[in-house]
Amino acid sequence: MTRNRSLFALAALFILALVPAIVTDSYTRHIFIIAFIYGTVAVNWDLSLGLAGLFNFGHLAFFGIGVYTAAILTTSLDLSPWLAIPLGGVTAALAALLIALPVARLQGIYVVLVTFAFGQLCMQVVLSQGDLTGGAEGLVRLPYLRLGDYSFIRDFRFGYYYIALGLLTVSVASLMLLARSPFGKSLRALRDNPDYATARGISVARQRVLVLCASAVFTGIAGGFYAIYLRVASPEVFGFSVATLILSMVLIGGAGSILGPVFAALGLTFATEAMAGIRGLEEARFLVVAVAMILVLRIAPAGAIDIFARLFTPRPKS
Amino acid sequence: MPEPIIELRGVTKTFGGLTAVNDVTFTVNRGEVFGVAGPNGSGKSTLFNCITGIPFGPSGGEIRFDGVRIDGIPPHKIFRAGLSRTFQKDAEFPDLSARETVALGGHYGAGLGGKVLEQASEEALDLVGFELSRRDMATADLSVYGKKQLMIASALVSKPAILMLDEPASGLTRPEIAALDELLMRVNRSGVTILIIEHVLGLLLSVSQRLLVLNQGSVLTEGAPQEVIRDERVIEAYLGSAAA
Repeated sequence: MTRNRSLFALAALFILALVPAIVTDSYTRHIFIIAFIYGTVAVNWDLSLGLAGLFNFGHLAFFGIGVYTAAILTTSLDLSPWLAIPLGGVTAALAALLIALPVARLQGIYVVLVTFAFGQLCMQVVLSQGDLTGGAEGLVRLPYLRLGDYSFIRDFRFGYYYIALGLLTVSVASLMLLARSPFGKSLRALRDNPDYATARGISVARQRVLVLCASAVFTGIAGGFYAIYLRVASPEVFGFSVATLILSMVLIGGAGSILGPVFAALGLTFATEAMAGIRGLEEARFLVVAVAMILVLRIAPAGAIDIFARLFTPRPKS
Repeated sequence: MPEPIIELRGVTKTFGGLTAVNDVTFTVNRGEVFGVAGPNGSGKSTLFNCITGIPFGPSGGEIRFDGVRIDGIPPHKIFRAGLSRTFQKDAEFPDLSARETVALGGHYGAGLGGKVLEQASEEALDLVGFELSRRDMATADLSVYGKKQLMIASALVSKPAILMLDEPASGLTRPEIAALDELLMRVNRSGVTILIIEHVLGLLLSVSQRLLVLNQGSVLTEGAPQEVIRDERVIEAYLGSAAA
């Protein structure tokens, strides 16, 4: 099963790598880039929420921290965007360490409350520190990526497409390796039976701190890239609509499956974009996503990837 | 000369106004099989929880393992120190195979890795008689006895000094209880001290060298199993005053 999933992921990567050769218009490439960024955030949220069973509802704060790290470093300190993007991952991981310390020993609803409050706190900091963050207006005209004389804003999003795809690929590959490691297995053990896992020498607090930091790294880098790509840092990244959309990617795709949220990110980004062009559905599209999430969870609690897995798994002969 | 491995002095556990374990004192010696009996609600499992810290430690008293106080230290460190336990209910990691479950105990309990971990896992599974053909099965698909074997193997892989078993015979058939009896003897012969709570008196009397009976959270009596079960206070606790 694991081998099938890896082969499926490689086939999907091969097809996605060929897309720019077929799809030449910037708009469609832009939707792919956004889907890859959301996919990176979703799959890393899946690490803490799905694989570790930690009800972390502050994951988008790591994304927002990545966004503002890249924006502030490039505008206030004139740092190269190439450096500012990975530094988004560093600051997000440090923020994760900060929130992980109180969360490490909490249970259930208290984890939800603390992580949710952390996200709101981050938004309030951004709004209140207008001199640095631009306040409610955010920061605009961020520097774009250049490579020598090559400008990434004059190639019909060709370069950005491959950077976003590369980020998603590295992130997914890292998580697949992590899920198969003793650390990944310890997370699943803690999720399914914390007492038994503790009785086998696994520290709940230590694994929680590590998983939150690990899930923040690529999320923060994705945030940094998002800011540089759109050339904007806006407090909306801490808002409910982005968080709900990405959470729906995790749950519709299949929490704990790693690949499920990636495909859900692709499907939902294109679906919501398509619905935005349909009269009457512009505002109601997130309602449609919410209904889809309820339906999928009702039919297959393990997510859409489980439905596909069942469809393509040969039934044993009776 | 008996060498104490676990020593409890005045261990108490209260939940609000309820005292579940009351001033319990006893010693388990290295290499022996020590049984703990008692009617339902007598505090046996709570006592186990207090010793291992999972999910809670004692409210008062002192617990020493190999002479070192362990009450108050994190439960995962108690396992790493060499005190391993199983659970009354079928504990499992449904997502992991039998091999992966055992390896987890070896990796986090004893810091093993690579080939050494693989070998230690196979040895632990061999010791409990776990079939080769089922070792890559998901634990959710195992039989009740298979899950019990696996729980014991995952407890043994880190080479603990003491194995604490919480009602290992619950849910088992008679032939399986007989197989469990042999398994526990085998484990004990390999040098592991056993502390066992059990409702199935036949198994407890068969494997235990000393027996302690708890009633309403307090120690009722302690001694050789055949003497303890003839104690009138024990008969009364189990069957009522008319029987005594």
